[in-house]
Amino acid sequence: MIKLQNIEKYYAAKGLKSYILRHVSTTINQGEFVSIMGPSGAGKSTLLNILGMLEEPTYGTYEFMGEDVTSLNERKRIELYRNHIGFVFQAYHLIDEMTVAENIEAPLLYKKIGSAERRSRVADMLDRFNIVGKKDLFPNQLSGGQQQLVGIARALAAQPSIILADEPTGNLQSAQALQIMDLFKKLNEEENITVIQVTHSEVNAGYGSRILHLLDGVIKEDVNLSESLKP
Amino acid sequence: MQTLLMHLNTNNDMFKLNLTIALRNLWKNKTSSMINVSGLAIGLASCMLLLLYVSYEWSFNKQTKDDKNVYQVMINFDGPAGSISGTGTSTPNTIAPALKETYPAVKAASRIGDADTRLIANGRNSFKKIGRFADADILKIFDYTFIAGDEATALNAPNNIVVTASTAKLLFGTTDVLNRSVRFEDRVNLKITGVIRDLPDNTSIKLDYLMPWTLFENLYEWTKRPMWTNNNWTTLVRLNPDANAEMLNASIKGMIKKHVADATSSPMIFPFSRVHLYGTFTEGKSTGGEIEQLRLFMGLAIGILLIACINFMNMATAKSEKRAKEVGIKKTIGATRASLISQFLIESLVLTLCSAVMAIVLVEVFLPLFNNLLGIKMNIVYANPYLWMSLIGIVLFTGVVAGSYPAFYLSSFNPLQVLRKRRSGRGMWSVSLRQVLVVVQFTFAVILIISTTVIYRQIQYLKNIPLGYDVNQLVELPQDGQLEAKFELLKERLMKSGAIQGICQLSGSMADYNSNFWGMEWPGSTETDRHMVFSQLATTYDFAKTTGLKLVEGRDFSRQFSSDTSAMMLSVSAVKVMNLVHPIGKIVKYQGDLRRVVGVFQDFIWGAPYRKQDPMVVAFRKEGTGYVTLRLNPANTPSANLAVVERIVKDINPAYPVEFKFVDELYGQKLKSQKILGLLSNIFGGLAIFISCLGLFGLAAYSAEQRTKEIGVRKVLGASVANLMQLLSLGFLKMVVLAIVIAIPVANYMMNSWLKKFDFHTGISWMIIVMAAIGTIAIALLTVSYQAYKAAKANPVDALKYE
Repeated sequence: MIKLQNIEKYYAAKGLKSYILRHVSTTINQGEFVSIMGPSGAGKSTLLNILGMLEEPTYGTYEFMGEDVTSLNERKRIELYRNHIGFVFQAYHLIDEMTVAENIEAPLLYKKIGSAERRSRVADMLDRFNIVGKKDLFPNQLSGGQQQLVGIARALAAQPSIILADEPTGNLQSAQALQIMDLFKKLNEEENITVIQVTHSEVNAGYGSRILHLLDGVIKEDVNLSESLKP
Repeated sequence: MQTLLMHLNTNNDMFKLNLTIALRNLWKNKTSSMINVSGLAIGLASCMLLLLYVSYEWSFNKQTKDDKNVYQVMINFDGPAGSISGTGTSTPNTIAPALKETYPAVKAASRIGDADTRLIANGRNSFKKIGRFADADILKIFDYTFIAGDEATALNAPNNIVVTASTAKLLFGTTDVLNRSVRFEDRVNLKITGVIRDLPDNTSIKLDYLMPWTLFENLYEWTKRPMWTNNNWTTLVRLNPDANAEMLNASIKGMIKKHVADATSSPMIFPFSRVHLYGTFTEGKSTGGEIEQLRLFMGLAIGILLIACINFMNMATAKSEKRAKEVGIKKTIGATRASLISQFLIESLVLTLCSAVMAIVLVEVFLPLFNNLLGIKMNIVYANPYLWMSLIGIVLFTGVVAGSYPAFYLSSFNPLQVLRKRRSGRGMWSVSLRQVLVVVQFTFAVILIISTTVIYRQIQYLKNIPLGYDVNQLVELPQDGQLEAKFELLKERLMKSGAIQGICQLSGSMADYNSNFWGMEWPGSTETDRHMVFSQLATTYDFAKTTGLKLVEGRDFSRQFSSDTSAMMLSVSAVKVMNLVHPIGKIVKYQGDLRRVVGVFQDFIWGAPYRKQDPMVVAFRKEGTGYVTLRLNPANTPSANLAVVERIVKDINPAYPVEFKFVDELYGQKLKSQKILGLLSNIFGGLAIFISCLGLFGLAAYSAEQRTKEIGVRKVLGASVANLMQLLSLGFLKMVVLAIVIAIPVANYMMNSWLKKFDFHTGISWMIIVMAAIGTIAIALLTVSYQAYKAAKANPVDALKYE
């Protein structure tokens, strides 16, 4: 599904190139649950941003679902966001002015889905995440964990094939974090949604099937958990 | 088809969601919304009121169909050496018939009598209303709406009368009054042959009832004579649509001189619709008039709206920085630029729409007050499509302009830029644009403050110019009916009653320049002196005693000298221009008669108070008098005096109501247009400043909010409240100071050219400018410092807790 070849990202300052990512090449298949780990400044978020097409690599090629998306115009990129990619952020990034239900509905509106279908999907999401009672509340009336649930529900509403999560539990208490991770695992296993998350936590990474260890912009290690756990 | 429908549906849903969010945002930020909406509403309302006034004045005399073909006959007076010394609107009674007879281009022509109020009665039910005499052609010139009666014949017989609906109601309580009889001036009975709808307020030919010219000639025998040089009446003509006014003007020029060889006047036609606004003539050419003031008001209207729009834009852009995050999120969940643009535009249009509704309410509430202040009758005609078009235009314009910055600028952001914690470098462009706008706003406000002060001082100055006579306790009334014949009786009874101290007859009002002449000859006068224009007033006895006029030499007309019936007095400036060293006793040829000068009086203000007064002649002439002027006895209250006077006058002249006018009030009306200017610039100048401050208040609030974190950090580092307030206020103060620097020369220039229009005027003192500057800074500082203080006093922990 995703194929990175020799991705580089650097900023040139005063004639010096400061590298964020170097020679990153990897392939991620449909249905994988990948955790990107590494110390601060290793380039985890940048890699995720490149995967989410929020940033362009300085060099290298990126193929998404067999299509070269290394530099994509805004219209095409939005098309991908609408149909294939769901984002989950550490700071949730819900729209403060919208209720829970409206936040979940928003991507469907952009996707131009009919109102009956929208209603049923929103209801479905609320139901699934046990937040039916909260549907008319505004984000600032919810706890962090609840907000992140809404964030994930919003990402899922559009039925993406891949979820990109940047430290999704970074602002949460551990109990809530586990709940979110369980959810990701379930989505990954039951609906075959590809999940790529950036995380600091070994525990969180343990939910996935593969870990990419990043250090100073280079993939140091690519661990396949499902295989290594197999006896 | 189905997909298209679905597409439309989702678009519609999106619109609905955007709309709800817009309303929600409005509600959530109540204070800033209020500032935003009410500021714009006040601006819109001010703009609407001013434009309403402008359109009222603009449509003066334009209510008639094809008003372009209606012309007023003006009279140009020859000056020395082929020049034109003046242009008047009064015409002889011969022009209208001659024009119609001689020139096929003239479709209709009518003489119209003056707008005096005259007595009209239904039995004992009598009123003094504006009654005018006119030729039947007036009904072809104007398209009066006949509620009853036949337009073609209504004025055909001498004893006909056409009344307006409200006059009919006043007299009979109904408009169903066709063929009823009314009594005019207690002299003749007239048959009502037409009822017309009331005339609009903004016409020069105001009337409550209309009578045939033939009646006028029957009542006043002397007016039957054709008089080519007696300029007394208004003449209006309607030309054929294809007529060429220029050519007609060229051919009528010598008309009067053809009949009267030594005449010095020539007629000219001038568009009736332009008389009101372009009524100032030099050398027989229109050189402006009220239109200049109207342009000023239009500028004021646009300026105020601009100030309000600037507020609105500034608030929108300030807020938009906060909303960058929203843009980022929406983009990652699939929002297109177009949908974001439409969202921001919807939001600002919702706000402008709210303001427009509020503005209409404000205008409705304040219109009566406004009308009252200006002494006019305007109303909003909701059926007028132009009103709606301009209102919708203003709303759309303001909404789109105000919303365009967030709509087009913010929607272009890369989502990453805004989602990554905080946007670095908050758009240099936006900040400097906002600063420019604030400077523009305050420049305008400061110009208004200075202008308003100068206008106020000029009006005060004009008010305080010495009049030359004692205007207080001076009352005048028209010498109606029996008053002229029984003047001596009136005088005797009034003096005996103790209610008055003096009484005299005059040819015209003391408060209003009403007559002039030229062609006087005196010992030592040359041929060119004959062209010198003098103003003239005729009187009998006790003129100086009654009016309090100061005599410099000689004496007033007196009964002790029987020869005084052919004597005259001169003003000081007349003596000067006539070069008379010993004026008393000199024989002067005035209006063809030889008269002896018996007194010289101090010039008094008769015409416009801001003009140099013409040299003046006061002559003894009993036949020419039309006004009685009284000096009330200051020992009693004016109302007690007036009650006594009214009883006596009514007794002598029972058919007429008694109508007093205080001369000081009449004099006050001379400054009407300056007062309107002063009043409007005061009100709207104040509003402009208020709106500007409202905007500044909002901006200060935003800037404080934006810098919460910075303030928190600075406080933790040890900054005092004073330090922080200085930090927050300084930026705004700089803008205001810059605005003042720009405004001072502009205001100075504008006001100097305004003052030049007056012969007598004040200057622009440095005090005014300094006060305006200090005032503006003080108001701005007060506005900003409240927000700054609030921000500076906040607990730093709150500011630093997040992120």
